[in-house]
Amino acid sequence: MKRPTKRIDAEILVIGGGSTGTGVAWDAALRGFKVVLVEKRDLTHGTTGRYHGLLHSGGRYVVKDPQSAAECIHENRILRRTHAHCIEETGGFFVVTPEDEGDYPDRFKAACVELGLPCSEISPATALRREPLLNPRISRVFEVNDGAADSFLATHVTAQAAQLAGAQILTYHEVVDLLTDSVDGERRVTGAILRHMTAGDDIAVYADLVINAAGAWAGHIARMAGIDVRVIPGKGTMIAMNHRLVNTVVNRCKMPSDGDIIVPAHTVAVIGTTDEKVTDPEHLRIEPWEVQLMLQEGEKMVPGINRARVLRAWAGVRPLYQEGFSGDTRNATRALALLDHQSRDGVTGLLTITGGKWTTFRLMAEQTVDAACRQLGVQRPCTTSQTEVPGVEQGHYWLGHRLHEVEEHRLQGDLICECELVTRAMLEHAAAHNPTVTLDDLRRDVRLGMGPCQGGFCTYRAVGILHENAAAQEQNPRQDDHRLWNIAAMQSPAHPMTANRKTAAQTPAFEPNLLLRDFLQERWKGVTPILWGSQLKQERLDQLIYLSLMNANHLPDNDLSSPLTEFYRFTSVQDGEDPDAA
Amino acid sequence: MLDLLVIGAGLAGLSAALTAAEAGLNVRVIAKGLGALHWSAGTIDVLGYLPPSDAPAEQPLEQITELGQAHPYALCGAENVRAALAWFQSLIAEEGLSYIAAAGEANAWLPSPAGARRPAYLVPAAQFAGALDRPDPMLIVGLLGMRDFYPALIAENLGKQGVSARAQFISVSEITDRRDANTIHLAQAFEQPHRRRRFAEALARLVRPGERIGLPAILGLDDHAAVLSELQSVAGAPVFEIPTLPPSVPGARLYRALRSRLRRYGVRIEAGMEAINFAAGGRLIRWVETETSARPLRHHAAAYLLATGGILGGGFSSDAAGRLWEVVFDLPLSAPPDRNQWFRSEFLDPRGQPIFQAGVEVDSGYRPVDATGQPVYDNLWAAGGLLAHADPLRERSLEGLSIAAGRGAALALTRSAARQPAHT
Amino acid sequence: MHGISWQSVDHTLDACIKCNICTTYCPVAAVTDLFPGPKYAGPQAQRFRENGQPISPDHAVDYCSGCRVCNEVCPTGVRIAEMNARARAQIAATEGIPLRNRLLGRNELLGMAGSFAPRLANFGLHNPVSRLLAEKVMGIAREAPLPRWSVDGTFGDWMRSTRRARLKSNKKVVYYHGCATMYYEPFVGQAAVAVLEHNGYEVIVPPQNCCGLPMLSNGEFPAAEAYHRRNTARLSSYARAGIPIVGTSTSCTLTLKEEAPELLDLHDDAVHTLRMGVWDLFEWLQEQHDQGELRTDFRPIELTVPYHAPCQQRAHRVGKPALALLNLIPGIDVRESHAACCGIAGTYGYKTEKYRIAMDVGAELFDFVHAQGPHIAFSACDSETCRWQMEHGTGIPSRHPVEFLAAAYGLYDLERRSLVSPP
Repeated sequence: MKRPTKRIDAEILVIGGGSTGTGVAWDAALRGFKVVLVEKRDLTHGTTGRYHGLLHSGGRYVVKDPQSAAECIHENRILRRTHAHCIEETGGFFVVTPEDEGDYPDRFKAACVELGLPCSEISPATALRREPLLNPRISRVFEVNDGAADSFLATHVTAQAAQLAGAQILTYHEVVDLLTDSVDGERRVTGAILRHMTAGDDIAVYADLVINAAGAWAGHIARMAGIDVRVIPGKGTMIAMNHRLVNTVVNRCKMPSDGDIIVPAHTVAVIGTTDEKVTDPEHLRIEPWEVQLMLQEGEKMVPGINRARVLRAWAGVRPLYQEGFSGDTRNATRALALLDHQSRDGVTGLLTITGGKWTTFRLMAEQTVDAACRQLGVQRPCTTSQTEVPGVEQGHYWLGHRLHEVEEHRLQGDLICECELVTRAMLEHAAAHNPTVTLDDLRRDVRLGMGPCQGGFCTYRAVGILHENAAAQEQNPRQDDHRLWNIAAMQSPAHPMTANRKTAAQTPAFEPNLLLRDFLQERWKGVTPILWGSQLKQERLDQLIYLSLMNANHLPDNDLSSPLTEFYRFTSVQDGEDPDAA
Repeated sequence: MLDLLVIGAGLAGLSAALTAAEAGLNVRVIAKGLGALHWSAGTIDVLGYLPPSDAPAEQPLEQITELGQAHPYALCGAENVRAALAWFQSLIAEEGLSYIAAAGEANAWLPSPAGARRPAYLVPAAQFAGALDRPDPMLIVGLLGMRDFYPALIAENLGKQGVSARAQFISVSEITDRRDANTIHLAQAFEQPHRRRRFAEALARLVRPGERIGLPAILGLDDHAAVLSELQSVAGAPVFEIPTLPPSVPGARLYRALRSRLRRYGVRIEAGMEAINFAAGGRLIRWVETETSARPLRHHAAAYLLATGGILGGGFSSDAAGRLWEVVFDLPLSAPPDRNQWFRSEFLDPRGQPIFQAGVEVDSGYRPVDATGQPVYDNLWAAGGLLAHADPLRERSLEGLSIAAGRGAALALTRSAARQPAHT
Repeated sequence: MHGISWQSVDHTLDACIKCNICTTYCPVAAVTDLFPGPKYAGPQAQRFRENGQPISPDHAVDYCSGCRVCNEVCPTGVRIAEMNARARAQIAATEGIPLRNRLLGRNELLGMAGSFAPRLANFGLHNPVSRLLAEKVMGIAREAPLPRWSVDGTFGDWMRSTRRARLKSNKKVVYYHGCATMYYEPFVGQAAVAVLEHNGYEVIVPPQNCCGLPMLSNGEFPAAEAYHRRNTARLSSYARAGIPIVGTSTSCTLTLKEEAPELLDLHDDAVHTLRMGVWDLFEWLQEQHDQGELRTDFRPIELTVPYHAPCQQRAHRVGKPALALLNLIPGIDVRESHAACCGIAGTYGYKTEKYRIAMDVGAELFDFVHAQGPHIAFSACDSETCRWQMEHGTGIPSRHPVEFLAAAYGLYDLERRSLVSPP
């Protein structure tokens, strides 16, 4: 192992840049701790960036897992205030389709009352007026306060809030080992060795306490301290429909199972999800039966959906933890799991927080930092439930906001990703402040490539722009000041207007051809499971652009690869017999 | 009553229509909309890379034989491909668009919009000065404010391949006051003499002696020749176009030139006419119906030619169950039997995606055949990207195949005795 | 309400592959930044517009003229123009409709009002002071070609006063005249009746009302729906009885065939029956000709006639039958315009903020007409507003193709625009 060339001292080291990790960093920084957060790739690259975007009302768990439900009810209210602009007030329906009769609906209703979950029964006719494409044979509908959440934005603004409170956020830094020592026979964790994913420099971080918030990789991290934490990766596959078919979250009123929810998320409708135990949280294959199941189940809520255009399929892994669990992952608890390794394993200086769901990230962070305080022997109260993150003055997300801002400021000519209304300034802004190892990093920031053409037009434009700016940056290096970047408004076409536009990508080495190839491959990875009909025609046009027109597979630097190249090449396409010999 | 109804207004359909019109047939072209010409680089690509090795084809006309007997080029043979290309070159020159072939029937290698070396066989005159085997260094000029062209990227990538190139910008406001103009609108802006002059003078200030100037392909639409000529003379340097993201101005020029020529023969291109139904009596197609605002419109012809472009052109549809079907006549298709075999892991896999080789199989006379090799209908022909056993985008052969097959099919049908009037 | 069923045109946005062909051919996007193009305003923006959502003003969509060239060239079947029209209606429903647009939408009422005292009405409207006032107060461009009320009575008056002379026959057609023929250009209707009777048809003109297109174009959907339902009630029984309903106003017949049902999401039996029974007059005459049933006893017309097929005629998607039939007239030299649009697009070019755009869009057509030679007596066009725009842009009078046909039958005076023999 290389000797670390740099050293950082902190009080708390947080491992994992998802919603949990950034929530912990934010909470701890607000309590005055000196915090460093490390994430091996980009923020939300893991589970947080791969879920269906639901802000739970709790209704889903009200019968099966009341503890989870109670947490959701509580946190739902808080997040609507603290992260207002990351939330869309879609409302939610629990619908009883002809397959869902039986006693569950009444049990559901009773459980809502008991848990204090706001729930009102409305007539199917009322529901159909609001959502005309719903199954007309629905017999009962319960309205709850589900919402749609933008986990990308939420994680970024939480990270920014942490930074404003003094935390340091290091993305593309992988923990390659935990530092441990023994004091009076008691083992403790003292920090970690980080490796930068592209530059290869090692850094040693020394911390009083390490918080393992690595989600599905938590077991992998814990093992570095010789601790066994079995996190069961529960793979969930989702598909996005090309446009929003519903504007309300639609749930089946039954015991939670596969494919029983449709979430309107930004410009798409997400049908989710499956639950399959896997061993590797990284290399996930989407099976044809999963896609078929989503469409089939979606059909029960919105008949006709299986003939609409499917845009994309992806999978995330739920980090499910339950001491001694060995059954079907669908039945594993979704409640959060906070492991104090001092009492559990006799190792001080390490906490693991896993399980849970996005809706409860703040609560998970609160409980974790409370435990951290206990271990560190201090008493500092949590303030996150009353603290708004930057940007809430924008109000809740609404579907037309980008259209409105582009219209108002006459930005049509500045659009780079036309499908999702991303302007050049938005792209440049994100690139200037978010280390761009792949264009996927920018995709998470501003929705580049997430529309119908799946990067057909914007991949080339984004590479060209970043390349231009990299050249300018070489001549005129700028200091990054995170206070200048209005992350809170990173998804807003109107806001970056005031920023300096000649900013460059924060990449260690700028390789435009690699960026191009990586992103084209990344987009391809998510469409192969759903490629037929209009989307197949779209991809063929994208091939015309990148093969015939650009000749992108014969660009220089064909041998270069990024830390993500191999990950993107792992697709759901089954290798095996090649039908085409010619 | 029509002699020939061509379904599809892409390069194959229009080549077929022209060939038939030249032979004196009464032809009509119907199409759901307009097509791939508007997306392409505007060059006539005959063969760029040989499957499966991905070796570059330096002599495309010779090397099409290496594609094997199942490939649709084998239906024509190299001689006929050569003749078809010569025919195209001559007629398009008569319409004011000059296309040039490199010496010795070799592929020309030109800069792509990303700065790769891109093979092409017949090159619009406006692009020809960009040939990468010329020694003179390049000045690549982009428009500040134009989002579909990146001169610095092109110059850098060319530089990595041993081509001397540098990049500069001229503000888009030199040519137009518009803030939201696509490539077609910019091309139309170049047709205003005083703005064009301003732009040319700005070019002249940037260029160094001995350089040739590369610009995005927006140099005029209908007045293209005049625009190009003025820029060259004012700048005092050779000027060449580099293709852009769609919409393709060179492609639009080509479409307009072909449409214009067809009009001279009295052949109408009816866009907005989607073929939705047909009727056959025995082995002859009697009519095809197109969708209208109310009752379908019936087209009776003695012969029918399908040039609907496969998946790209909308001539094939597909669904989640892995079915692929031809949308007008429901012709049998050669395709991977299982959706699991449609794709490979890599988007840019040089072998291409297997599904895109799916298509209509035809006999040596370009008539679609069934599993026994018999023509499905006696008066139906097919040509272009919809033919089976070729992936024209992978091998960079779309235009060459379209012209050769379109012309070949039309020649076959004009000679065919099977062209019976539909109702006798 | 958008996308209220899978049949709603809004769902065709899924067919869009972002190829830009529509924007390439859009005549409005070609001349102004105010319209960002059909791809942007239609399928792209549609993903950001949904029921029950706060509406983005998205006023750019208001600059879509509704010419439907985008639909014509789209390779995948996106119903872009309809999507834009519905988006306008959504905005109208939220923000209200300006008085000017309501006025322009009420073609029938305006026509009727002026018809009581047409000379006065003409004088009142067509003087510089009124036009200036109309521009400043209402936003109706002072130079835009507003029509004149007929001073010889309405088409309805003529039908009533000549009813004894009208042909009775077993072969019947229903004539849908539309507001322009009724109040401004009854002579077009007279020419149509003459042509139909010459071919042995009895022309029935049943009670009918405005097709509602001006309201559809201005986003006033509830009122347009009321009109369409009334027409359906009045006319669908003829369609059911197999009596063709023909119209000289190609915009009106398109509305009855397709635009009203699709924009308003009306798919019931009666609406459908009516759709299938409506014909553009020349579409119907072409059908008769194909069956060998059209009288071709034409006298020569030795004229060079530039012909422009209006956008809404092309949107019928039946080809250009007027062109084919005019070419049957001996001596005539019909020159086909390939220009996309005359610019007026119904009520669009009358609006102050759009007048210049409309004239820029129409420039190609005006140039074409002039380029056909120095001695052009008339141009030909199937749509009334297009004729008025063409006259305005070229200074050359314009005639409906049926007027040429009637003249070729010896029944009509092209110059004076009146029937030659007593009715």
